[in-house]
Amino acid sequence: MAGDLITILFNAMIWAMATFLVASGLTLVFGILHVLNFSHGGFFMIGGYVAYTVLSTFGAEIPLWAYLAAALVASVAMGGTGIAVDTLVFRRLKSVDGVYVLIATYALLLVCDGVVKLIWGLNYLSVSPPRELLDVLFLGGAIMPTFSIFVVVSGVVVFLALDVVINRTSAGRILQVIAVDPWMAGIVGINVSSVYRWTVITGFALAGLAGGLLVANQSLSPDLAGIFILQAFGVVIVGGMGSVRGAFVASIFLGLVEALSATYLPNYPGVLFFATIALVLIVRPEGLLSRQATS
Amino acid sequence: MTGISRRGVIAGLGATTLAAPFINRRAFAQSGDAIRIGVVTALSGPQEFIGNFVLAGCQIAVDQINAAGGVLGRQLALEIRDDRANPAEASAAARELIGLGANLQIGTISSSVALAMGPLMTQEGGVVITCGAGTEKLNHENYNEHVFRPGDGPYMRMRAQARLMAERQPDVTSWTGLVPDHEYGRTTWAVYVDGLLQFYPEIAKADPDILDPIIVPYGAGDYRTFVTQAARSKAQGIYNSTYGGDSVTLFQQAKPFQLFKDRVLMDSANEFIVAGALKGDTPGHWTGIHWYHETNKGNPLSDQLYADYVKKTGNTQPMGWVSEAHAGIYAYAKAIEKSGKSDTDAVIAGLKGLEWDTATGKRLMRAEDNQAIKDVELIYIEAGASGPLGYKVTDYVKVDGNTVIEPPTPGEPMKLRKPS
Repeated sequence: MAGDLITILFNAMIWAMATFLVASGLTLVFGILHVLNFSHGGFFMIGGYVAYTVLSTFGAEIPLWAYLAAALVASVAMGGTGIAVDTLVFRRLKSVDGVYVLIATYALLLVCDGVVKLIWGLNYLSVSPPRELLDVLFLGGAIMPTFSIFVVVSGVVVFLALDVVINRTSAGRILQVIAVDPWMAGIVGINVSSVYRWTVITGFALAGLAGGLLVANQSLSPDLAGIFILQAFGVVIVGGMGSVRGAFVASIFLGLVEALSATYLPNYPGVLFFATIALVLIVRPEGLLSRQATS
Repeated sequence: MTGISRRGVIAGLGATTLAAPFINRRAFAQSGDAIRIGVVTALSGPQEFIGNFVLAGCQIAVDQINAAGGVLGRQLALEIRDDRANPAEASAAARELIGLGANLQIGTISSSVALAMGPLMTQEGGVVITCGAGTEKLNHENYNEHVFRPGDGPYMRMRAQARLMAERQPDVTSWTGLVPDHEYGRTTWAVYVDGLLQFYPEIAKADPDILDPIIVPYGAGDYRTFVTQAARSKAQGIYNSTYGGDSVTLFQQAKPFQLFKDRVLMDSANEFIVAGALKGDTPGHWTGIHWYHETNKGNPLSDQLYADYVKKTGNTQPMGWVSEAHAGIYAYAKAIEKSGKSDTDAVIAGLKGLEWDTATGKRLMRAEDNQAIKDVELIYIEAGASGPLGYKVTDYVKVDGNTVIEPPTPGEPMKLRKPS
């Protein structure tokens, strides 16, 4: 019984932190720029492929430092891509209706899909976890792979870093000001345009980092963009659009829902997940922790 | 930026959907005298990976037939369209091609597309040969005389797999399944169970213990909860009918749990997909395959298909869908020769009861339900090759299709044994 409970909690945390890693950049960009970036999953996917390319030079046994370095390379590569996307796409969409933004970011997703097919092809690919993370730990009858623990720790570290930056630094306070009233922020001398750019860079870098950190967690294919993005959108909506803390809390909440559902309603996978999202939207449409509440 | 309204979102998605059929169309040149064959297959979208094998198989077959003088003195020409594995897009493309004179069509991979083709072909006066569409309804509830399946149906494939296990693993009597949460996934498990219930008592002289299958979501990023359930099960054998990237992710996440270490793993249809991705991490497993060139070495059609495929693509590990499309084009050619004409009624008459040579040996297109009888091919893959593949095929078998196929019952649902 204790083993069952630990297994459920552990599986919930893995789901939660993997999803949070993907959702963090999505919610950051939405919170500041109010852009619902459909293409976020695409850049997460390319981040994974970039890390795969770096790691394929190490053969079957990958050292942990190389794994982390590959995730960093993916993050930097996607951050750089964010500059291009901001210049070519986001800045041109500032004064148009939101639907055009949706179409533009959906088009970007198709571009990501094409880039992956062009460079890496259609074959399914995979990466082994780093050699230091191939073991398992046993806790009260529960089996805990060390790579899964790594995913959980990565999610927590990324959350803490973002939370500290947003809530404990002057840069974070500027971000919060712009999120609430960019016009007034401009009046008082804040370079809003520059903050927007750095937000996009950070959001894209987080997508790349997630791709790199999770590259050994699942298969790589052009379908990858869609696999996490649906649950990431769920987390962002339930947490409160634009709230990093909300996304973190929501990912744990929905992770628990998902793990309990898989354990006790095994014949109806996913049903409880979507029912919970619907229920939260009815009862608390602003999400568990709206941006106003967290700021 | 202005706000995002719900109406705006719906309008945007609607516009995108409407624009989709006009993307990704390709046409190949053809001569006026040529017999046109429409290839409607997935060249983008979730089944693009398979669609490329189908297209290559069609092109190789047409090149081979044309180089040998064509059919009744006429060349074959392909008209190619992308269906994105979407019934609506496939229907639009199929109608357009029939309008262009390509009444003979091939390439359907998706079951939902295959089921949509029957009424359409009846209405428009065409005929279609599927290339891997797995639904059993094709030759049962939704049987339509305009749709032909030249490959093994799920009844044959899964029962052949169960038969092999009864022969090779008579002591492995307790089974569970990793079954994707869609109708076809549940059907594959039900048919496999039917095979276990027939062949274990007959061959292994043992009653199988059928455990509840583990239903897994389609297209998920995390399967650990389901892996945990399977690892705790007392099953000695696991039947996997998850597919593609889902299987790769599931197998990858199952490794630390040693789920497959002391269990027999029978995989429904991943061919080389899982092994190609996991390489040296591939767990030993049996898998169904439409065609494996080593199994068919010495068959001139197989040897030539393999040589032409490698020359065309540079890929030395083709998937079996190449051969399904290749066999389909040859079926058309033989049916036209048999009936002397290429109009729809003549070709349907020619296909029914047709016996023809393919890369996997002789096949018979059963006249009653348009289902081919062919040998079912299974291979055993495990890690350990020293080359870039990282895996190797260490065993392969053919199961006589006649021993595992159901009697023809077009229009009626499949009848299966159930565990007591």
